[in-house]
Amino acid sequence: MLREMTKYPFYVLLHPFQGFWDLKYENKGRLRVSLAILLLLAIATIVLRQYAGFVVNFNFPYDLNSINELQYIVLPFFLWCVANWSLTTLMDGEGKFKEIVMATGYALLPLVLMRFGNTLISNVITVREAAFYYLFDILSILWFVWLLFIGTMTVHQYTVLKTIMTMLLTLFVMGIIMFLGLLFFSLLQEMLGFVLAIYTEISLRI
Amino acid sequence: MKLIKSMCKAALLLAAFSLFASPLQAAPYDGYSYYYWGTTASTPNAYLPEKVIDGAEQGVGKLNSPTDMFVGADGQVYVLDAGNGRIVVFDKDWKAVRQIREFKNGAKQERFANPQGIFVTDHGRIYVADTDNSRVVELEGDGTFVREIGAPKADVIRAGFEYFPRKVAVDRAGRIYVIGRGVFDGIMEMDSDGNFTGFMGTNKVSFNFVDYIWKQLSTKEQRSKLAQFIPLEFNNLDLDQEGFLYTTTAEISSEEPIKRLNPTGVDVLRREGYIPPMGDSYSSNPDASSLLIDIKVGDNGIYSALDSRKGRIFTYNEDGNLMYIFGRMGEQVGTFKTPVALESRGDEFFVLDQATNRITIFKPTRYGALINQANEMLISGQYTEAESKWRELLTLDANNEIAYVGIGKAMLRQGENKLAMENLHLGYDRVYYSKAFGKYRKEMVREYFGVGMTGLIVLIAVLWGLRYAKRRSTGKVKANVT
Repeated sequence: MLREMTKYPFYVLLHPFQGFWDLKYENKGRLRVSLAILLLLAIATIVLRQYAGFVVNFNFPYDLNSINELQYIVLPFFLWCVANWSLTTLMDGEGKFKEIVMATGYALLPLVLMRFGNTLISNVITVREAAFYYLFDILSILWFVWLLFIGTMTVHQYTVLKTIMTMLLTLFVMGIIMFLGLLFFSLLQEMLGFVLAIYTEISLRI
Repeated sequence: MKLIKSMCKAALLLAAFSLFASPLQAAPYDGYSYYYWGTTASTPNAYLPEKVIDGAEQGVGKLNSPTDMFVGADGQVYVLDAGNGRIVVFDKDWKAVRQIREFKNGAKQERFANPQGIFVTDHGRIYVADTDNSRVVELEGDGTFVREIGAPKADVIRAGFEYFPRKVAVDRAGRIYVIGRGVFDGIMEMDSDGNFTGFMGTNKVSFNFVDYIWKQLSTKEQRSKLAQFIPLEFNNLDLDQEGFLYTTTAEISSEEPIKRLNPTGVDVLRREGYIPPMGDSYSSNPDASSLLIDIKVGDNGIYSALDSRKGRIFTYNEDGNLMYIFGRMGEQVGTFKTPVALESRGDEFFVLDQATNRITIFKPTRYGALINQANEMLISGQYTEAESKWRELLTLDANNEIAYVGIGKAMLRQGENKLAMENLHLGYDRVYYSKAFGKYRKEMVREYFGVGMTGLIVLIAVLWGLRYAKRRSTGKVKANVT
């Protein structure tokens, strides 16, 4: 069981079409594996930012904050999933929310591997070889986008063009959700402030 | 009782010490420097005020709003005392040697009118930018008139051009460089006969993007009413030993207020330091950035710039690394009200103040002298001697990143790759760190290749053997079942 669970993401990595198909129709995907990959990505990023070799590490040590890393990885992940789900339910997508989370999570694997790998590599390279570090970084992102694309396409049973459109729209919807969230919070703040002001006023007068 | 007595003794002793110690350390300002992350940190003071010259003590009368000064090749200081319309020459011991008040131009006795700039060639010829007379006057060292150079005449000069020379410099070939008030086309270059040959080294136009959009949207008539985008004019210049021009521009929050112009007018200043040579760097408040108004090129590729806003002197080495900062505005001796000119002689600095009418002389402290010496040794290639200076420097200021880089480079030369890496890491020099690391890596691979390879082969053999044994044992199990 455990062996199967650890092996399957690597299968998806190399055989995305078959992999995502089985993930949806053969019930091969596991939600906890997907979330574990997400957690690993957060850890990998923290490790990379802290322990990358001096040659490629331009981070100001006092600026490093692991909570921020979580914020910049976990939050966008769920934002993507929610936005994608909201959009595809309106656009005849066949994917369930769970499937979207699974597909997105599995697609993150190249990033996890490359970040751990890059942490090791960066400690044994010189400035001249730093190009490899950046090359791996870019490759991992391209691979991630590729997997996400196949995943979205398979989960929702879309055509290529519709998938690209959906992915771009999802980004847009993410923006809208963030805007609404900020609006909600700032209105809430105003409202609370108003109530508090009235309370203070009354309590001072009585 | 005994305890109280000893405590009283200790307190008295402490008080006595502080009483005697404080005047020695009293400086009107605190030293600081910029580091790799763009932050500042306190350093010991590199320079301290030594003496103040106002002319009265030297027996030539008080200076009156002096505008410029120059240290000649023989070490004499030429002060352009504009308010009194004279040039005062001081020798090395600050004794007034002579004054030049007027000169004979043909049959007429002439004087200066609000002169702003002075330059003295290696042969002792004095060039004065006689601003309100719209000319540059050349004099012999003793004040005999040689010639005057008037406004440039050429087709490239705009209509309505007004010639008010502010600063002047003359190179070894006799070419004359003049900075004029309101002349944004660049530095006026004239040949040795005083004929205008062209503008050089024009500053780039910088403009506000919003203004640009407005300009694009407006009609032609509107546009003619709007302010033009014109480059900022240079405000001062100096020549280095190779005949390259160092210039300053009073541009707020610019990263390139200092330029080093080669003979074709291209900026070739090296900006390899942690922050660009721009004086103070306030990323959060650009309005507080430095306004550099004078520059002085010293020995060994060192150059210093004077900030008129905070009254600070910033000194950089050849690569653009910040060496030290000193000076401030104020009323005390050793501070300035309106600093206008900066000069140096050997390792001393002189700052001319127009408002307080005096020259302040600065001498290096042990800290400043160490930086100067280490830099000099670095330039002349004495890396090992430089290293010992850097080490001594670190005992005074353990934060000095340039010192770590210096030590790191010396270690690299001696083949101490591991130590070199540590020091270069502390100094945030990635390029040299890489060099040291490359060598260290090679060293490690050479040393451990044999052991590593043997280990690997043994490991593979063991794994293979285990697998073989496992297969055999499972085979046996199977055989038993059937």
